[in-house]
Amino acid sequence: MNIRCFQRNFSAAFPPLVPLQLPSPMETHLWYILPDEVKNSALLNQYSELLSPCERESVSRMRGDQLKKRALLARALVRTTIARYQTNCQMNPRSLRFRKNLYGKPEVEWRNEDNFNPPPLHFNISHTSAMIACGVTVNVPIGIDIEEKQRRTKNNIIAFAQRYFSPYEVKVLTAISDPEVQRQEFIKLWTLKEAYVKALGKGFSAVPFKTFTIRFRDTTMRNFHPPESSVSEESDIVVESSEDPTDPANNWRCALLEVAGSHYGAICMEKDRIAGENAPPKLTVWKTVPFVEDVCVSGTDAVLVLGGMIEQ
Amino acid sequence: MASLAASSISFQPPHALATSRVSGLKLVSFMNQGRNSLSFGLRPMPARVRISCAAKPETVDKVCEIVRKQLAVPSDKPVTGESKFAELGADSLDTVEIVMGLEEEFGITVEEDNAQSIATVLDAAELIDKLCSGKSA
Repeated sequence: MNIRCFQRNFSAAFPPLVPLQLPSPMETHLWYILPDEVKNSALLNQYSELLSPCERESVSRMRGDQLKKRALLARALVRTTIARYQTNCQMNPRSLRFRKNLYGKPEVEWRNEDNFNPPPLHFNISHTSAMIACGVTVNVPIGIDIEEKQRRTKNNIIAFAQRYFSPYEVKVLTAISDPEVQRQEFIKLWTLKEAYVKALGKGFSAVPFKTFTIRFRDTTMRNFHPPESSVSEESDIVVESSEDPTDPANNWRCALLEVAGSHYGAICMEKDRIAGENAPPKLTVWKTVPFVEDVCVSGTDAVLVLGGMIEQ
Repeated sequence: MASLAASSISFQPPHALATSRVSGLKLVSFMNQGRNSLSFGLRPMPARVRISCAAKPETVDKVCEIVRKQLAVPSDKPVTGESKFAELGADSLDTVEIVMGLEEEFGITVEEDNAQSIATVLDAAELIDKLCSGKSA
């Protein structure tokens, strides 16, 4: 038993956090909050107590109550979720420290103390006005992105794609005649591309969107699925890097989901070489209100796999 | 281009350099029109001296307008040079849309490494002015 557990000041003011089992290799845990379901101001104050002074200041600088709440929930979700994965003892979510890597990707800064083996956790968050999500993996980096299904762009979709997407992706989008379907496929592509860049963790400029292509590939050799038809479980999502065509970025595994009926969510994670190709990629999803409840929504209508070889 | 124009100015500067930014603007647009004489009351300044490093007010205003529209900022909330996109609620798609809107408005191309460093309205305006003056040079 790690003696350090007893030295950590766990404030009696916080309800206990239910500990969590680490994801297994090639498994993703996805946690999300629906901000509209979190209205209790006492609870929001508790969340605020978890934050570092720096984080609290960032939250206060957000313009408007909804944006403040969103920023607060995002930090509370990350802190409580990661704290719950401590296998040896209960970690105080308030004492977690975060930093950014060289390129700005947030990561946990583990204390370098004797006998403390930090779990090999990786995480990434994304939020919209209606959802805050946090993806967690072990051993390998992860990137996630969520967008509201109803998201509209101010710019013309094809003009935007021509400016930022790869030629193949422009072709796929241009071939869609129904503007609503085109818009949906655009949003899906956007989330996948964002998730990939975030997984790589080197920033937008290191991997410009134009330099890689997302392809849907399935057994019938069609290149995309209309949303109405049922998606074959066999459909895979492939990332091809135009910078290095010999390496089709097969290091990275992507999946596309519909979450809570309202959002598209993309997950991208590095394949675990040690676990090997045989480890089936698994996904478990919870809707959560930190300190209050977790609802496992995997296998329900709240999580639909739209693409990528992943099982719930 | 600016230095070329400065070297051809031969009259004495009678005025203070308070409005050097404005003179810079006129110099650039004047050169764009292809004329060579500088006969209408420009305040000359040595081209190597940058009196002000801030972006032009009109650029800042235009950026504010584009940002406000993209992020649907309510009219009672201020959007100024110091405004950070993230604090106004911009996510990555918003930011890219803003950059694209700025490219179209100002006729420039913003590379990804520049786009990534834009955090505030002022950052965007300064980059725009830099790219615009680079174009006409």
